Amino acid sequence: MTLDRRTVLKGLLGGAVVSIALPPLEAMMRADGLAWADDTAFPKRFALWTWANGVLPERWVPAKAGQGAAWSLSDQLAPLAPVKSKLVVVTGTQVLATNSIPHYSGFGPLLTGKAQIGEEGAHTYGGPTVDQVIAASTAAYTPYRSIEVGGWFDEPISHNGPHSPNPPEVSPHALFERLFGPTFRAPGEDGVVDPKLALRRSVLDVVMDRAEALKTKVSAADRIRLDQHLSGIRDLELRLARLAEGPPDLAACARPDEPDVEGRLEDAFANHRALTDLLVMALACDQTRVVTMSFMTPVSNYLFPGASSGHHELTHNEPGSQPTVHANTVMAMEELSYFLQALDAVEEGDGTLLDHSLVFGTTDVSLGKTHSIDEYPIVLAGSAGGRLKQDLHYRSAARENAGKVVLTALRAMDVHLPTWGDEQRETADGISEIEA
Amino acid sequence: MCTRLFPLLLSIACAGGPPDADEPVDLGPAPDVAPSAPVLRRLTVSQYEHAIRDLFGEDVYVPTAPEPDTRFEGLVRLGASQVAISPRGVERYEQAAYIVAEQALSPDRRAAFVPCTPSATVDDDCAFLTLERLGRRAWRRPLTDDELDALVAVSGEAASTLGDFHEGLVFGVAALLQSPDFLLRPEFGEPDPLAPGLKRYTAFELASRLSFTLWDSIPDDELLDAAEAGELDTIAGLEAQVDRMLADPKARRGLRAFADDLLQLGELTRLQKDPAVFIYLREGLFASAREETLRVVEDIVFDDPRDWGELLTTRRTFLDRDLAMLYGVPAPVREGFGLTELPEDGPRAGLLGHVSFLALQAHPTSTSATRRGKFVRGTLLCDEPRPPPAGVDTSIPEPSADARTLRERIAVHLENPACAGCHAAMDPIGLGLENFDGLGVWRETENGVRIDASGDLDGAPFDGLVELARAVRGHEDFYPCAVRQAVRAALGRNPADGEAEAIEWLVARFEADEHRFQGLWRDLVTSPLFRRVGEVE
Repeated sequence: MTLDRRTVLKGLLGGAVVSIALPPLEAMMRADGLAWADDTAFPKRFALWTWANGVLPERWVPAKAGQGAAWSLSDQLAPLAPVKSKLVVVTGTQVLATNSIPHYSGFGPLLTGKAQIGEEGAHTYGGPTVDQVIAASTAAYTPYRSIEVGGWFDEPISHNGPHSPNPPEVSPHALFERLFGPTFRAPGEDGVVDPKLALRRSVLDVVMDRAEALKTKVSAADRIRLDQHLSGIRDLELRLARLAEGPPDLAACARPDEPDVEGRLEDAFANHRALTDLLVMALACDQTRVVTMSFMTPVSNYLFPGASSGHHELTHNEPGSQPTVHANTVMAMEELSYFLQALDAVEEGDGTLLDHSLVFGTTDVSLGKTHSIDEYPIVLAGSAGGRLKQDLHYRSAARENAGKVVLTALRAMDVHLPTWGDEQRETADGISEIEA
Repeated sequence: MCTRLFPLLLSIACAGGPPDADEPVDLGPAPDVAPSAPVLRRLTVSQYEHAIRDLFGEDVYVPTAPEPDTRFEGLVRLGASQVAISPRGVERYEQAAYIVAEQALSPDRRAAFVPCTPSATVDDDCAFLTLERLGRRAWRRPLTDDELDALVAVSGEAASTLGDFHEGLVFGVAALLQSPDFLLRPEFGEPDPLAPGLKRYTAFELASRLSFTLWDSIPDDELLDAAEAGELDTIAGLEAQVDRMLADPKARRGLRAFADDLLQLGELTRLQKDPAVFIYLREGLFASAREETLRVVEDIVFDDPRDWGELLTTRRTFLDRDLAMLYGVPAPVREGFGLTELPEDGPRAGLLGHVSFLALQAHPTSTSATRRGKFVRGTLLCDEPRPPPAGVDTSIPEPSADARTLRERIAVHLENPACAGCHAAMDPIGLGLENFDGLGVWRETENGVRIDASGDLDGAPFDGLVELARAVRGHEDFYPCAVRQAVRAALGRNPADGEAEAIEWLVARFEADEHRFQGLWRDLVTSPLFRRVGEVE
């Protein structure tokens, strides 16, 4: 099912703050928002998953391109073997940007379609990141517009616009409290409507009035910041209203066990897995349809098991073929594999949660040593409910604009923008070879 | 001595060294400034916590960091002028507001905040009195009738629903704490009657600026009263309040918050080091390291007020047992922190010898001459090096028979013309600190080779940490940079061109007062630089 080009999200094309949830079109949704009008039974979900400091391209790019048996996983992609049949690996694209801020000049423009603003030490993302662009269309249906989680570092990846980050949760216990604490009701659980929910909404009305009043007096730039605040308040009001309505009827949704450790777990791997398990249940319970998991963030200098130095340091200082950098990247891919398998383990109808999702896996550079943004590593997983081909390695022979992959992902998630990206990044085309 | 950064410096101050104590230099009044637009700042994590404690008591439980700080150009105080409040932040501020409000209105605490006994479940008059008083502190100004009516109404609605006056009041207080009037610092100014055509901050705005700068928190009632009475409109009234504020223990809190921000000590909580390499690593070591540095700063500014440059050269520090063991000196006390004078002829002195600097500006398993040099150059001398060009191969060789020390391994930075331009400004500084490993422990050798810690800081030779620290302290940019950083933190932005002269005046005063930081702060917050404002853009 395709939608015509008039289906444009308001408030996005100017690159300004995404503050308005798209009103649904009858053509798209069933009344309960839990299925698409063509009766695909489950909603589409989007996950952005990031690792740090790129790859070693000669060990990342699979030798052959094609579908199914025509291609095999490379050394660095090997850990994804259990989910190969649901992957779309895209190689050979480049991010079209001036590479002046190492680790961000490719990453920001890839995720936002716009140049990173500022210089090193004082920069921000040029617009909303792809997860928030999608969240604008799904927010009306779920208690949480989106959920951001960090495997280890709390640097925000997801942004609503310049200087408007969505800080991630890094503590599994805190994430549990937030998602499955007192505000959560599992399907079938009886509940008395808490009278305080309506009172909290009255308070939020007062707070909104104050923010609106302040908006009339501040500069244009500060109005955008206050719009972000207002948007967050409206999100919370909506969530409180929903809580009064009761839990969704979803078979795979159940109250998970509470993690018994405060703060982060002992290492990034254990932490990532604990957070992933909670996040997957949040998706299964339709608490949100958009998540960002930054396993590692740009420039991460995490000390991987068995390494003699931090990861970022090694990408620059390890000589020769950089075997430790390679081993670290393989470990990161093992974590992505865990994430994808966790999604794939949730049955939904005759498919899985992964089948109904689109996972966009990427990193902050291509070759870490040189901060290159050419030969950009992108691995997609899931088909967004049958919208992408699967088990495919697409090799871009012409060093295409990596933004085309993002536009394909957006369209697969039924966000129909006529173009994606500004200036030299602008494209009206996705990559048709990976579209179903 | 005062040429490169500040060419217009008054000749008196440039005559060569500070004047005698009994010949006070009169530099005249601080120069006026070209007005700059106001900035809208969000409360930082520490300001939020301090504000809640000042409102509701030291022992109230405050959830940590509802919205994390963003560092921008080296300071979270600059990031505060840029960032919005995220949806998750809204959620967490809401949760925190109720946690705090419920504690404040619990039966054993409420007497301090509710100045009346309610006559019924819904008592708008008592709610009004309570919210008027709390609101003035929380929003740093008197609330309007409309604002109070809305808060009273929501309290009454809640009281009626829940059947209890104080439970209802929780919702009014929670509204106060979630409002942008609390979470942000709106500033608009007013026409200055003494300078037609120009604007100044209002008295209440100025009170907030003073308290957030000096106390890292909201004004107290006395400061708000002084603002209301017009006392802050006169220099004498303003100075009286500033002197009171500097003498208040909360000023130490404000100083610690500034030092924490400038020296990025918050990063210590996330620092990762390899315990197989660093045997002195202990649980809580980095928290102790942060405390050591903050105590030294406090000592230099408040306990024994002396030259700010002592931060670099003093042998006096405050250690607990873990730090003492790491530094190789006797522990001053069994529990907690104690005063220690490091050996006069020893290799370690000042901030450059602190674990908080040596460990933070390094890698998980080793030192980093470049990072340590970059910190000195950027944070202490205000000459931030540019980032490396894209596409460059930045690998350095592993230790080998020909290159066993870091100095030999990074020599390529200085030999390759593409690298040397920036690295020459950083590496020699960091190489002067190579006797201190990636945790800060002293070492004579690296891979069996005696460490060469000699170098040159813009023409001043040094050999080792103590001489390097003296060279940094004696560098012509050191004190002007300290002033610049204090100004940036106080204004929440970089200085504008029209403010250069005002800053030079501050530098000259700092010099004349033997670089005492309290004096700098006092001069800064009483000068037109701090009080003058332009139009909203």
